[in-house]
Amino acid sequence: MSVVTGPRRLSIPRRVAVDAADDGSPKVVDSRIVDAVRESWLVEDRWWTDRPLRRRYWEVVTTCGRDEVVFQDLESGRWWRQR
Amino acid sequence: MFVSVIACVLLPRFQLMIAAGDRLELLREPVALAPAAASGSGTGAAQQVGEVSLAAEAFGIHPGMRLGEALARCPRLVLVPPDPAGVADFWERLLVRLESIGAAVEPERPGLVCFDVSGLLRLHGGIDGVIAVARRALRTPARFGVAPSRFAAVAAATRARVRRPEIVAGASGVRSERVDARAQARAYLAPLPVALLRARPMLADLPEPLERLGVKTLGELAAFSPMALADRFGKLGLVAHDLASGGDSALRPRPASEYLRESLELPEAVSGLQLERGLGLLIDRLIARRERRGRTIRAVVISAVLVEHGGTWREQVVFRDALADPVRMRLALAPHLALMPAPAEALRLAVERFGGPASDQRSLLQDPAAARAARLREAIRQARVAAGPDAALRVLEVDPDSRFPERRAVLAPFEG
Repeated sequence: MSVVTGPRRLSIPRRVAVDAADDGSPKVVDSRIVDAVRESWLVEDRWWTDRPLRRRYWEVVTTCGRDEVVFQDLESGRWWRQR
Repeated sequence: MFVSVIACVLLPRFQLMIAAGDRLELLREPVALAPAAASGSGTGAAQQVGEVSLAAEAFGIHPGMRLGEALARCPRLVLVPPDPAGVADFWERLLVRLESIGAAVEPERPGLVCFDVSGLLRLHGGIDGVIAVARRALRTPARFGVAPSRFAAVAAATRARVRRPEIVAGASGVRSERVDARAQARAYLAPLPVALLRARPMLADLPEPLERLGVKTLGELAAFSPMALADRFGKLGLVAHDLASGGDSALRPRPASEYLRESLELPEAVSGLQLERGLGLLIDRLIARRERRGRTIRAVVISAVLVEHGGTWREQVVFRDALADPVRMRLALAPHLALMPAPAEALRLAVERFGGPASDQRSLLQDPAAARAARLREAIRQARVAAGPDAALRVLEVDPDSRFPERRAVLAPFEG
């Protein structure tokens, strides 16, 4: 009998350490200080199920010049990096 | 010398039990399998219930009865959506388990399978030994009937109990005792009801007119002359008379098959274009499987788990030509997705039958692009042999417009 394997998805979110300001915007991402917030957006989906998805995305530029896209899972409060 | 002895394995209400899943308490109530979802040309077909529970049988409801009549007989009848993909999966597993003991099986329908015991008698030490080995292999409660003919074996299995197989006299397999095996099968069948003929799909509608004519048992049916039955019921009457007289056609075991399947869990219920992309991914993965060994594919089964506990959907597709070309396969299979009655949570693609080995016919003038593609395919093949099926992958967009980046693309086997 064959072994059924799952698909290998791309752009899987990875955990990241973020210090956030009072308004929720990231101040430090992985020990790198955020220089500017380029954009922020909210995504909500599957609100009709037991496992809703609510994410607040932030696209930021750090002082070392890196462009990062991170989001906070509004259900668990955890931060993730996604690119 | 040994001759045919047929064993029948019966799992009563198999399809209903699979469809009920973990809600087995449902089976104590009057329950029936709902008519299969209409698909394509089946929209005008009669709505008939599938397998029914014991409580529903008490109301006179039987499989194949029209839905309207079943509801008229029992207004509180509960209908359970069928699970054809789940049934096919579990049934295939059981058949493979039986084949593992050396049985050449002929599945009649899910829950009912026959095999010839005579070749296994010495291997497992007689009929009791074969039944004991088959019972251990199945690992699920089943009823066993053994008889000289297939129909008598099915009838015996319906009278058997899980721990007490029913063995009809004359089913010893020894030729000297075979002389009157047909007569003994006929004697065994004589007191049994004509409703047993429903076990044979082509005769499913026959018991009702027979009962209306006052023919209650198979013995009464066998007492008629074949000509009288042919005059009234045509060929079906002759077949029924032969079965009731202890005869039956020879067993036609299925060829031992390989089981090759790919499945894709869909993160959210999808249909339309996204489903087609998922199908493309499954086709690529199936073709890249090492077990295919360069063979073409003759027939496949597409199945899906539908959203909101809507059961499953299953469609068999036989290709006009045996294929190993993913593009042509996609063209042939994609239209079938439109028959799906609801969005899917999971999509599966399984090979049902292989064709001959795939071969490339060379053209008179060699096309440089084709030659390059052929070299690329060969390089991929060699890389896969050395490093496994994941050696060459490509990015396949599954849901490019999704707001969640992780749902947009997956890695699929690269097909040059």
